[in-house]
Amino acid sequence: MSSVFRAIGWTHRYALALTVAGAATAHAQRAAAPAGGKPFTTAAGEWPSYGGDTRGSRYSPLDQIGAANFSSLEVAWRFKTDSLGPRPEFKLESTPLVVGGVLYTTGGTNRAVVALDAVTGAERWIHREDEGPRGAAAPRQLSGRGLAYWTDGREERILYVTPGYRLIALDAKTGKPVPGFGENGVVDLKTDIDQTILPDLVTGEIGFQGAPVVGRDVIVIGAAFREGTAPRSYKNNKGYIRGYDARTGKRLWTFHTVPQKGEPGYDSWLNGSADYTGNTGVWSQVTIDEDLGLVYLPVESPTGDYYGGHRPGNDLYGESLVCLDLRTGAKKWHYQIVHHPIWDFDLAAAPVLADITVGGRAIKAVAAPTKQGILYVFDRITGAPVWPFVETAVEKGDVPGEWYSPTQPIPSKPPAYANNGTSLDDLIDFTPELHAQAVAIASHYKLGPIFTPPVVSKAEGPLGTLARGPTNGGSNWPGGAFDPETHVFYVASSNAAPALLGMVQPSKDRSDMDWVAGLAAGATRPGFTVQGIPIFKPPYGTLTAIDLDKGEIAWQVPHGETPDAVRNLEALKGTNIPRTGQPGFVVGTLVTKTLVIAGDPQVTTPPTRPRGAMLRAYDKKTGAQVGEVLLPAPVSASPMTYAVNGRQFIVVAVSGGPYSGEFIALRLPAGEGR
Amino acid sequence: LSRAARRAAFVFTAAIALPLVIGAGRPRARMSAPATVWDSVYSPAQASRGESSYVKGCARCHQASLAGADQSPPLTGSGFLGNWNGLPLSDLQDRIRTTMPSDSVGLYDRQFVTDVIAYILKMNGFPAGAGDLSPEADRLKAIMVQATRP
Repeated sequence: MSSVFRAIGWTHRYALALTVAGAATAHAQRAAAPAGGKPFTTAAGEWPSYGGDTRGSRYSPLDQIGAANFSSLEVAWRFKTDSLGPRPEFKLESTPLVVGGVLYTTGGTNRAVVALDAVTGAERWIHREDEGPRGAAAPRQLSGRGLAYWTDGREERILYVTPGYRLIALDAKTGKPVPGFGENGVVDLKTDIDQTILPDLVTGEIGFQGAPVVGRDVIVIGAAFREGTAPRSYKNNKGYIRGYDARTGKRLWTFHTVPQKGEPGYDSWLNGSADYTGNTGVWSQVTIDEDLGLVYLPVESPTGDYYGGHRPGNDLYGESLVCLDLRTGAKKWHYQIVHHPIWDFDLAAAPVLADITVGGRAIKAVAAPTKQGILYVFDRITGAPVWPFVETAVEKGDVPGEWYSPTQPIPSKPPAYANNGTSLDDLIDFTPELHAQAVAIASHYKLGPIFTPPVVSKAEGPLGTLARGPTNGGSNWPGGAFDPETHVFYVASSNAAPALLGMVQPSKDRSDMDWVAGLAAGATRPGFTVQGIPIFKPPYGTLTAIDLDKGEIAWQVPHGETPDAVRNLEALKGTNIPRTGQPGFVVGTLVTKTLVIAGDPQVTTPPTRPRGAMLRAYDKKTGAQVGEVLLPAPVSASPMTYAVNGRQFIVVAVSGGPYSGEFIALRLPAGEGR
Repeated sequence: LSRAARRAAFVFTAAIALPLVIGAGRPRARMSAPATVWDSVYSPAQASRGESSYVKGCARCHQASLAGADQSPPLTGSGFLGNWNGLPLSDLQDRIRTTMPSDSVGLYDRQFVTDVIAYILKMNGFPAGAGDLSPEADRLKAIMVQATRP
């Protein structure tokens, strides 16, 4: 390994030298760059936006860290987020930015912002907001997914959204609020939103845990709410999406994700239900095509994740991909991926912009990874599916008052990258006994293919629809990564994180909904595991490469160490079980010049090493694992990479279970790779 | 720089290894106390109380089925068991008590949290017994989560 490494070392050193020179040039240009210029790019070794760029790519061309040396990565620095808030956080989901040798990130239970030296991890500044009861009442707590960087070539700003839904602009050099932005650096996002947030500005339910995205001096802000399988009411605030001027904080436009009376789409909500139905926000990441001046919104479910009886009709723009003009917010096109959403199939991740060639034709495409484990690919200018979607007849459920769409669109290509239905054939068959136990458990549930609807939960059975896809399936907010050179899309996904779609009538003190998710009183609680292992066959989780020129899966491999519960199971002693992967649905991917990098979503404690979770590197051409690094806890956000002074770094956020949030920066040992 | 890198690597390794060392040095269960979650450490009545508490206080985010969602991790299955495998129940109690519910941390007392833990144990297939799980941290320290039957 080391000889191969030495042989290519010079090339790497040369490449990095070029990269750094490029960065320096870009930096010099930035000072003189015209307003709205794009001086900082992943090509220059930076990571200036949540997804590396505003296109959702998660791609960096850096190659100092490669197959030959990934396993020798060392810790450069660590930063624990415990003391950024009043208590430690155990779900650190932020992906940092790096611009000009400084790393910026959110962190801590109150979502502070911190600037660190990207080489040493030394703190430059910290900004904290004490939002009191408004912060405590926030529907989405903790550190959130990150922030945005903006510059006009003169000023540099960091932008983020607090748990209490206020947009803050900070001077990137000092961390001080920018006086000329909003009111002393703050825009109250609960105001100027074309509706009155109820019941009041302190407790009114709306927030955003995602990272703002800035393109061409326009900041686009999403909207999020509490988990919605059992909401308190069928009425709620609406998740309108807004664009703001990055210089002044002035609102430029508002897009009504639930159309107002007289607007197109209003009639898709029968009985005037658009007037009171809420949610329908964008809690994940917005994507921007700065060249075309277009915004892509992955819209979530309307109020009531599993019950839509209070909102009959298709419910536009619930679970739609919506394309807007960046400057005006005017709708260019939309495509509703799920009609009348009742599966919690929020569009959960950043749509990815992909310039591809299909059958010899160049297409500017946008691809939306989903909980369904289906990649929906569109021409991003026209909104037409690249490969036809087939409106497919789906089953009608038995929940009184529900309105059912008779069909749902399913793409003809590419094939699903995760299992999104349940059948007896999907149950474990390691041994006849384990299979019999799995069948016994499954007998309490209704099984069926994708779009099998929620059912009334009955003590005698079914307790509900056992589904793979809804809420926890496929891929969730980390989304995927796209390689602009090879046109391959990479995504990690889960096959064994089921959801139970059982409906009960709530007591009036819990909700005014007619039906919410729940389990029939007095029923047994069989769970989803047999002796602690998933009832579904492995692989529990995979990493998939999809060739977007062909619409085909190029390769798919199990991702994640075999869980302890499987490896140690008495009934499986002596059985050789290939790596099963792990059923995590929040696994972020990073693609570099040669590698795809992703962390295990679960901790394992095999006999050969200490307790921990692996960060893995795969050969992006073949899917073969080429390296791994042990981390103390699962990677709980998407990995990112950058280079400073000729050295490449990979930063991961780790947290989960008993391990509180921490950023770990990795790099090669001194002298290696250069 | 190389020395710094080596030091960082050492710190990293130590941070991983240290909890194991501490775990090894932790006083084992009292002679009469059960040692793992397989030793029937909660009662059916307590799990039933825990279920009521869970439905009221936890299900909205973690789901009635304990399957979790978005920001709320699953409370059954291999992910949950992997996270807590080899750790004492006192760690799980601390984690819940000091971070939940996320919008009004500290609302749930030890008894509430311990009853919910009993329900979680039941839902993960660990056997019930005659007595309740004690809410006292010292007692919970002596009961280890073990993903598979010893």
